[in-house]
Amino acid sequence: MTADSHALTATQEHTPLAGLAHDSRGGISNVVLGMLLFITSEVMFFAGLFAAYFNTRASNSPWPPTEFALTLNPFSLILVATVILISSSFTCQFAVWAIRRNDRTGFLRNIAITFVLGVVFLLLQAYDYSLLFEEGMTLGSGPFGTTYFTLTGFHGAHVFGGVLMLGVVLYRGMSGQFSSRHHDAVEAASLYWHFVDVVWILLFSILYFL
Amino acid sequence: MATHALSPAAQAYSRGTLYEWLTTTDHKKIGIMYVINSFVFFLIGGVLALAVRTELAQPGLQYLTDEHVYNELFTMHATLMIFVFVIPMLAGLGNYAVPLMIGAPDMAFPRINALSLWMLPLGGILLISSFFTGGAAAAGWTSYPPLSAEGPLNSPGAGQDLWIVALVLIGTSSILGGINFLVTIFKMRAPGMTLFRMPIMVWTILVTSVLVVMATPVITSALVMLFIDRNYGGHFFDPFQGGSAVLYQNIFWFYSHPAVYVMVLPAMGVVSEVLPVFSRKPLFGYKAFIFATAGIGALGFSVWAHHMFTTGAVFLPFFSLLTFLIAVPTGVKMFNWVFTLFRGQLTFSTPLVFALGFLTMFLIGGINGAFSASVPVDFALHDTYWVVAHLHYVLFGGSVFGIFAGIYYWFPKWTGRLLDEGLGHLQFWLMFVGFNLTFFPMHMLGIQGMPRRIADYAGDAGWNDWNLAATIGGFLIATSMLPFIWNVFISLRNGAVAGDDPWEGNTLEWATTSPPPPYNFDHLPEIRSERPLFDARHGRTGH
Amino acid sequence: MSSTPRKRPAPDALVAGIVVVILIALVVAVFLTGAGSTLYPPNAVTSQAHEIRGLYDIVFAFAVAIFIVVEALIVWSVLRYRRRPTDVELPVQTHGNNLVEVIWTVIPTAIVLFLFVISWNTLNNVDAVSDEPDVRIHAIAGQFAWQFEYLDGNGARVATQLVPSYDAETGTGGMAVPVGRSIQVTLDSPDVIHAFYVPRFLFKRDVVPGQTNVFEFNVDEAEAGQVFRGQCAELCGTGHRQMLFNVIALAPADYETWLADLVEKSNATPAPRPSGTVLDVSAEGIRFDTAALQVPADGPFAIAFTNNDPSILHDIDIKDASGAVIQDQATITGGTTANYTYTPLAAGTYTFFCSIHPNMTGTLTAK
Repeated sequence: MTADSHALTATQEHTPLAGLAHDSRGGISNVVLGMLLFITSEVMFFAGLFAAYFNTRASNSPWPPTEFALTLNPFSLILVATVILISSSFTCQFAVWAIRRNDRTGFLRNIAITFVLGVVFLLLQAYDYSLLFEEGMTLGSGPFGTTYFTLTGFHGAHVFGGVLMLGVVLYRGMSGQFSSRHHDAVEAASLYWHFVDVVWILLFSILYFL
Repeated sequence: MATHALSPAAQAYSRGTLYEWLTTTDHKKIGIMYVINSFVFFLIGGVLALAVRTELAQPGLQYLTDEHVYNELFTMHATLMIFVFVIPMLAGLGNYAVPLMIGAPDMAFPRINALSLWMLPLGGILLISSFFTGGAAAAGWTSYPPLSAEGPLNSPGAGQDLWIVALVLIGTSSILGGINFLVTIFKMRAPGMTLFRMPIMVWTILVTSVLVVMATPVITSALVMLFIDRNYGGHFFDPFQGGSAVLYQNIFWFYSHPAVYVMVLPAMGVVSEVLPVFSRKPLFGYKAFIFATAGIGALGFSVWAHHMFTTGAVFLPFFSLLTFLIAVPTGVKMFNWVFTLFRGQLTFSTPLVFALGFLTMFLIGGINGAFSASVPVDFALHDTYWVVAHLHYVLFGGSVFGIFAGIYYWFPKWTGRLLDEGLGHLQFWLMFVGFNLTFFPMHMLGIQGMPRRIADYAGDAGWNDWNLAATIGGFLIATSMLPFIWNVFISLRNGAVAGDDPWEGNTLEWATTSPPPPYNFDHLPEIRSERPLFDARHGRTGH
Repeated sequence: MSSTPRKRPAPDALVAGIVVVILIALVVAVFLTGAGSTLYPPNAVTSQAHEIRGLYDIVFAFAVAIFIVVEALIVWSVLRYRRRPTDVELPVQTHGNNLVEVIWTVIPTAIVLFLFVISWNTLNNVDAVSDEPDVRIHAIAGQFAWQFEYLDGNGARVATQLVPSYDAETGTGGMAVPVGRSIQVTLDSPDVIHAFYVPRFLFKRDVVPGQTNVFEFNVDEAEAGQVFRGQCAELCGTGHRQMLFNVIALAPADYETWLADLVEKSNATPAPRPSGTVLDVSAEGIRFDTAALQVPADGPFAIAFTNNDPSILHDIDIKDASGAVIQDQATITGGTTANYTYTPLAAGTYTFFCSIHPNMTGTLTAK
């Protein structure tokens, strides 16, 4: 057990905030650990939705139902959206590596690209929804429609949350708040973004291919 | 133990006291507000319980004209007690105690801590408001679809939707609180406070937080799906459109069984702090106790379907076996507690008396649980008053007695004043007798075939006497709150000054002033065991 | 406890011991005498219930033994180890003992494994379902009434019992079953989850919409002529507690007569549409198609009633202004019609309502 700063001893200066914002215990920072735990809870949330999906799918055949047999085509706009989201995970990681090197320009450039890619993904998904609605597939179209729109919808909501986080990181980065020594928020936001990406890869494979 | 306010700057702000409390991020103030908020909803939930018991006092309708209201009463009683009383009350006790017990200045994320707190009254008010917006949720706290679906005979109206929204809100508060506890415990321990020197209270909060972080989002997903079914034409749980009614039960209980441990583990933690202090001995089998706690947490995730034995849709032997097995770590704890008392020197202060109430009553709640683990016996007992008896022996006989042990134990730390012992003992005996008079007869009612959740029963079914006894007991429990509230009131004004350490405590919270200054400590004793203050008082020779 | 490390006045242990022994004796006395009998299930009446009862008794014996041992330990410790003013020095600081930890892990594990095995054994007997049961009944639980369809060997319906509760005066109603025969019940629900629960069967099974549950029972020969209470055990809405039914155990010959009567009643041609004042009322979606009816005062009238709610029971009864039910009609199931004839009403305002669904009401004016 290494010594750490937040337990105040008589020899230390009495700064009331000592130990709150910074942690010198080493290893993972409070913010990153908090984000990992939050992601754990999100994984369990999606696990609930996926469980419902598989249960529903197992008790309904054919799946997809005949009227929507060809509606979900993986080789369409959705593939473009998928490529965009996966690429954004890479640019996000480039941003993290850049700030670890203290390369603020590279960091800002990459985080901005990630942000834009995230927004584009959301726009594509919205457009894709409108195409599906035109084909008559809605949330109320039997269990197939219900599960599809609930799963992708909640994923979309999480992408939206991630885009907001990236926006905050971008804004704070532009005002020079991050450095190689201080960028917990960047690490946390990037972890979240990777999580959102992984969920999409799962969703895309299961909903479109399986 | 000379301590003084660490931050002279804190005095520079002279905002009103109210403003200070409403905007605080201090875990101690937040913890106290958790406790107060939970207690208010405890009283409201208690009034609903009295309404239920009054209706059941004798056969025939007593005061209700619309039986639908009865369904609202017990639904909201359970919802308030579980989600806005027991869980947050224990989180509040932990919120105050955990940073102090591990020698930290505050929680890891103080502002998120404040957010977790303030979501609770909001959720509670949403729940209560449903009574004034066309009727509260009435499908039971379990809200099984299709009964909780939209429909004239199912759950029409906004009440069920408000219930869903409130539970999602409260669940989010729980998750954020759980993450906060985990980061605090893993990252903010004082030098020397290794994991196996942490007080048991901290360990139970740790395991509870893991359960919360992993299970609560699952019920959120079930609630979200129910909401979509109700409002946007979804078909998750609609058996006539390709959905499955039992699916909801699986997801719901995947959360709600671990939730039982969320509701009882921290109370076990409180008892494990109180027993050693008042018997002047260490907890018997400290490590065994920790492993048992972790074991309960792990097994807790694999027993959910024992709530569904009668659905005909679950694999019975697996869940029966695991449910039986979860009795083992619970038994280990029980023996460890008893052997902590054994050959000790017991002082019967109110905290110990309530902790003994916990031991004797929780034992019954554990034993009668074994009946339901046996599938064929559960076929007889499921959904009868037996289950009501069982869950109250766990959640009232266990959690509530543990909660009051904690309140009497830490009140001097929170306020600098001791609660009155005489009134404390009076409260205990009223509550103890009232509790047993209310809930023990429910065993008999259940065995004799009285189902749960009925507003009325036939006069010739042989259930009259036990129901009347239970109603009288219910009012006795209500009466026991009067000495408590009076006790708090007079003790805050004229109670005996507590000093830093009125009980000869073992853990770090007793090393600082009562109440502690902002950021808790200016000096920590050396931490070489799970009882740093005992070591400071007696030296290593005591071991 | 002579090995107590500190000096203690001997009477302390003696008093504690005596109190504990008295308490144990009291508990045992309660369980062995009539006072404890309410902690046992009611007398079982099916062969399955006897198995469950046997299992219950074993679980109960373990429960009482564990209860007595642990509570006695607690009470004894509390009485014996009070802190005395002379207790200045600390008691011995025992931190634990691995041997006893192992003991109280292994022994409870053995106990619960034993209980699990015998439970599983019993479960296999209780849950057994045969291919060729003697009697097949299809129970439909809709909000808020039971219907019992009697099926032949091929699963085709021969008759339906629409009156779930037994009326001792008329001897009608209820689900009749022959004693000593295997009776297979399939359960279906057209709406929400219900549960088939007969306390003296020591058994219940949920009625889950979208899923057909099956169970079997054999009523003891000695129970012929007995009537057993049954009730829905899973919250199903406002009328949950009114979802009562009875199981009537009959000697096989009596059962055949009973069933023949029911078949005859089921096949009887419905009464022709009466002449005079006839109102048309239908029910659909748990609603009447009208909220107000008007009939001539002091004259007979009739209602031609159509029930369009599949598998749900409805009827049209009449309450007077004080709320007393003055005219009572039999319920009909979904997809059928009935001609209800009523006796003359004095001029005034009445309420017509469905006896199953509290929300289905309307005003009936006689003038």
